[in-house]
Amino acid sequence: MFLLWLRVAAVCYGIATVCALPAVLYCRRRWVKVFLPAAMAGFLFHFVSIAELLSEAHRWMPVGTREMQSLLALLIVGAFLLIWLRYRTVSFGMFALPLAFLLVLFPAIGLERYTFSSPLVRGGWIIVHVCALLAAYAALIFSLLASFLYLLQEKRLKDRERPSFLTWLPPLETMNQIGQRALVIGFHCMTVGLLIGSLLAQESVGPAYFRDPKVVLSFGMWLLYIGMLLVRRTTGLRGRRAVYWSSLVFLVMLSVWAANIFSSVHRFSVP
Amino acid sequence: MGVGSLLLFGVNHKSAPVELRERLAISSAQLGDVTRSLLQVPGVHEAMIVSTCNRVELLVCPDGDAPDLMGFLNGFFAVDGSVLAPHVYEYREREAVRHLFRVASSLDSMVVGEPQILGQVKEAYTVAKSVGAVQSGLEKLLQNTFNVAKKVRNETEIGGSSVSIASIAVDLAEKIFGSLEKKKVFLVGAGEMSELAARHLVQRGASSIFVANRTHERAVRLAAEFGGHVIRFDDLYTSADRADIIITSTGSPTMIFSPEHGVQFMHRRRNQPMFFIDIAVPRDVDPEMNRVEGIFLYDIDDLQSVAASNQTGRAKEAEQAEAIIELEVERYQRQLNSRDAVPVIRELQQSVETMRQAELRRAEGRLRTLSAEPLSDAQWAAVESLTRGMMNKFLHPTLQAIKAAAAEGDTAKLELLRSTFDRKSAVYTSAHLSLAAIDSDSEPPQHLSSEEES
Repeated sequence: MFLLWLRVAAVCYGIATVCALPAVLYCRRRWVKVFLPAAMAGFLFHFVSIAELLSEAHRWMPVGTREMQSLLALLIVGAFLLIWLRYRTVSFGMFALPLAFLLVLFPAIGLERYTFSSPLVRGGWIIVHVCALLAAYAALIFSLLASFLYLLQEKRLKDRERPSFLTWLPPLETMNQIGQRALVIGFHCMTVGLLIGSLLAQESVGPAYFRDPKVVLSFGMWLLYIGMLLVRRTTGLRGRRAVYWSSLVFLVMLSVWAANIFSSVHRFSVP
Repeated sequence: MGVGSLLLFGVNHKSAPVELRERLAISSAQLGDVTRSLLQVPGVHEAMIVSTCNRVELLVCPDGDAPDLMGFLNGFFAVDGSVLAPHVYEYREREAVRHLFRVASSLDSMVVGEPQILGQVKEAYTVAKSVGAVQSGLEKLLQNTFNVAKKVRNETEIGGSSVSIASIAVDLAEKIFGSLEKKKVFLVGAGEMSELAARHLVQRGASSIFVANRTHERAVRLAAEFGGHVIRFDDLYTSADRADIIITSTGSPTMIFSPEHGVQFMHRRRNQPMFFIDIAVPRDVDPEMNRVEGIFLYDIDDLQSVAASNQTGRAKEAEQAEAIIELEVERYQRQLNSRDAVPVIRELQQSVETMRQAELRRAEGRLRTLSAEPLSDAQWAAVESLTRGMMNKFLHPTLQAIKAAAAEGDTAKLELLRSTFDRKSAVYTSAHLSLAAIDSDSEPPQHLSSEEES
């Protein structure tokens, strides 16, 4: 049944993706009226699907690339809905919904079957670890996106050119706040995720945990995160330099994701 | 001219000079009384007056003869007919509906797309309704008008962009700062346009106003007007970074703010953005200031080019709005026409119902001769339901044809349908009378039954 809900969610995200262009680019209210409910419905079905999947599998942790993709998509749409609730801007939906749709597409075709050798995946803390880190990734994606949009809007205002296809861009201050808050939320999530992961690994893997390439890169990313937050807070960093920092952390984030291939600690199952 | 007709009579900024419009202008306080007077004009059944700085229009549903609206304007405003006549326009029926839709949708305004006119039409409607001048005819038309205006606003971007310098400055400020709540505005120089821009910014939530002017008294007066603070001109560079928005309009022959000042301001503000609006000629702010990161500079030419581009955009949107209005006028006309179908349909239904009842009575008599047992209530209800169902099914295509003819305004076809039915009814009545005579002796002739069914 969870696959059905996931497919319904994918359809909803697809509808929202189609509506996002006229809703955001041309500010057509009629399309916004379809876009937002579709995004919300997709989020609800998606949440039900993941909850049902975990409940059926008697485990707390999503495993495998497709389940992780699905969870990340859920968090991205959740973050978009939070931004909409707080700032009443749908602009981010133009990026968030297509991304979520693409992320959900393969999981909606079918999820891999896993058998588990580790009892660890049945623990409640592991889902907190995974969700917190995925939430940090989602926050970082939004922060980077906000910085890019800030740059575009800044250029548009500086050049005094008013190309009609960019009128949808939110105000600079809104994007700065979204970028800043996403970073702060992401930092807290990452700290919690790494802390719980370290404690769990201490119990199950021992000191070898800290030699794992994924773990080393994760801590590297955490330090960069702190650096970026400090610089932004002390100098009020915005615009181009903020994009450089966010891009750097994002690259490290991608390498952390890619490091799964070399990680021995993050292997719980055999496909 | 019957009930349901429409007449619109008036002057606007295109047809009449301001000298004439101001003589015809009606204040909000007077509007109720003038509307009441208009309602007293012979031939006026319903009335409404739209009076703004750009137009005075009388909208009337005539009752019988055409009312003398020119005479009303002559008499009420003491404006000579020969002066007025070349400037008035008169629209009737469909054209009046179109004009009203265009006015409410701001397509007939001096600044196309301005939002105030819809509120003014609504106010005119409220006043007219309160004095009893609005009944079913105008009520329906005005509800349609408000819906059309709303549709035009929603489906086009006709009011989406500003076209005045002051409102463009506000829009740009909002693109930088989001909300203008608690934003600080610094007026350097006290020109009329900078004052207007500041007023717009305050209306949108800007909280503090600082004023610096070489003539101190003028600065004090302006600051008092906005409840702001006066800054000595000598303290300009030490205080400017406190403001988020700086509007300059001094008469200085040299530039007051250089990029170096901008760098200092940004350093002191920890990169919080600043918006310079330079409406002075010669300019007060070095154009290179725009290169400083975090500072946005717009001079009067920039603002005017934005205004021109927005006006072009509005013109394009207006074309789309005209198309919407054309469709809505058509739809309204169809609605009005469909009212003509109501009496014909009612008449038809009544006649057919009479036939049905007569047939039922006949059938009841025949059944009594066939069976000693009378029909039970349930059986009789089934027969009733059967005949009613058949009647509705037979009538359906005719009713549809009547409705279609009415919606298209095809009065000839409508009359034809009505007369055809009247003939049928007449045939039926005469046939029924002869049948009643025969029925008392024997069974009804077969050909008569088939004629009735046809």
